[in-house]
Amino acid sequence: MASVSFSQVKKAFGATPVLHGISLDISDGEFMVLVGPSGCGKSTLLRMLAGLEDITAGSISIDARVVNDLDSKDRDIAMVFQSYALYPHMTVGENMGFSLKLRKDRKDIIEKRVAQAAKILNLDPYLHRYPRELSGGQRQRVAMGRAIVRDPKVFLFDEPLSNLDAKLRVAMRAEIKALHQRLKTTTVYVTHDQVEAMTMADRIAVMNDGRIEQLGEPLELYDRPANLFVAQFIGSPAMNVIDGVLRKSSSCVEALGHRWPIGALQRGSEGQAVRYGVRPEHIAIGGQGAVTAEVVVVEPMGAETELVVKVGDVTLVVTTHGRSDAKPGEAIALAPDAASVHLFDAASGQRL
Amino acid sequence: MKKKYLNEAFLLLMAVPILLWSLLPIYHIFLFSISSKDSAFSGALWPKEPTLRNFGHIAKQEHFYLYHFWVQIWNSLWIAVAVGALTLAVASCAAFAISRLKVRGGRTVMNLALFTYFIPAAFLAIPMYKAMGNYGLLNNRWSLVLAMVTLAAPYAIWVLKQASDKLPWELDEAARIDGATPLQLFRLVYLPLMTPSMVAIGTYALLLAWNEYLYGYLLLSHERTITLAVALGHFIAADDSPWELLMATGLVYALPPAAIYYAFRRYMVSGLTSGAVKA
Repeated sequence: MASVSFSQVKKAFGATPVLHGISLDISDGEFMVLVGPSGCGKSTLLRMLAGLEDITAGSISIDARVVNDLDSKDRDIAMVFQSYALYPHMTVGENMGFSLKLRKDRKDIIEKRVAQAAKILNLDPYLHRYPRELSGGQRQRVAMGRAIVRDPKVFLFDEPLSNLDAKLRVAMRAEIKALHQRLKTTTVYVTHDQVEAMTMADRIAVMNDGRIEQLGEPLELYDRPANLFVAQFIGSPAMNVIDGVLRKSSSCVEALGHRWPIGALQRGSEGQAVRYGVRPEHIAIGGQGAVTAEVVVVEPMGAETELVVKVGDVTLVVTTHGRSDAKPGEAIALAPDAASVHLFDAASGQRL
Repeated sequence: MKKKYLNEAFLLLMAVPILLWSLLPIYHIFLFSISSKDSAFSGALWPKEPTLRNFGHIAKQEHFYLYHFWVQIWNSLWIAVAVGALTLAVASCAAFAISRLKVRGGRTVMNLALFTYFIPAAFLAIPMYKAMGNYGLLNNRWSLVLAMVTLAAPYAIWVLKQASDKLPWELDEAARIDGATPLQLFRLVYLPLMTPSMVAIGTYALLLAWNEYLYGYLLLSHERTITLAVALGHFIAADDSPWELLMATGLVYALPPAAIYYAFRRYMVSGLTSGAVKA
């Protein structure tokens, strides 16, 4: 177990900078998720921590020890790859014990620890099988088993669930989370899936274009996104964003010929160009709706119903609990919950 | 359905003449080898009195040209195996360094090595003879081994490099994180995964050396150091060549490659084509 610290870490491939000075402190036992669209540099950052990529500038430390020039094998980390990277010519047991064998541990110790890890992951019946004889989920578990037998300071996960089908992904998500709660090993987990990030993380670092856009606990990012990028990246379906003008005096934003209600606001000036953000689940239908819209598509999901509606030329998504009687073509009234509305400066995209 | 049958009929029609065409010389050799000296040139499709006596002569070394048969076939075998093993050692290390360790300039080295194939091997024979002479290796089995490894290595490196390019990178990274040094990576992960290609390339080099005539003829000259291929060439030096013995010896000489090819045919097909196309 250990803390991990990135300090002004930069990375450039040739002349192309991909990370612009990342600083991030991960405390002992924490489950940190790096999330962002592809190409944002999250995997590169993880690979730098693993020692698979050089560090262009800045420093990375594990347990207060700078590891910049340390070989992967001397960093005491274990990594789970997206493709699992199991050795095809070794059995499950040999795969899991490989690192211990290289470390020249005694044979009985290796066997004992492999057996322990196999038990945790329900792999005992497969120890003598080869990776090709396993299903995707089992291979994923072997990859995790290979990581836990070493009892490393830090676990690194690089999009470990991307190759699994949707159902298995949900199951493995819970399994990894449970494993972390049991072992309490510091974990850095990279994913592009914000649902994975929200459900698993202690803290999330949302990355974009080689920078950390926001760092915080999952619900903090959801409730108070620091900027438009985070607002639209976190949450599913994504937040509705509308261009408008701030009317502080009447507590609303004028947009698309309607008055959109806002809550109490300290910042922002009268007449400022803003972007009005409201999550689909924070728009009520009917009643004293301030805004009228036309229903385009109705998507019933059972527990809730998603309505795709149009206000002027802009398409919005509205989520209602339970069933909806709305039919395509109908006009409905929308009532955004003023307290849950997010306002962003139109130019900078920063939260007001 | 009908079209499929027509296709197969057409292929068969093509295949049968080709098969006959390639088997005819072998049948001819076989025919000679089971004929007595008198009937060898009779022109019959089957000898009147087929005999295995020729093979007995060979085994007991009962002819002027066959006095050193067992030594010579041992030379052939020794050299072929040595060439196969040495080529594999050189080529697998080179391919690993170029493809997996990404050694700077590795690709250039490989391309330069491949470039040597632009020069026909026959042209290189004289410089090679001179070089071996300088090292005092003439008439030594090692001279032919080294020469053949030189000829086989560029192709072997190329094929193995192409094959290793296909191994997933994550395996190397996983092994590095697991604590493997480059040598351990080579021994414990790379070599086991390369086995099929290695078998194919080893066989290729072995057969190349087994079948070599020109270099053997140049570099080895003593009766007890030459390979059987060179010895077979000596048969025709006389006015009155013992054709039936030559053919019988040739048949014996062709058996080991056939056996090797048969044993490893699975690897040969997959291994030699696996490096052929860039995936």
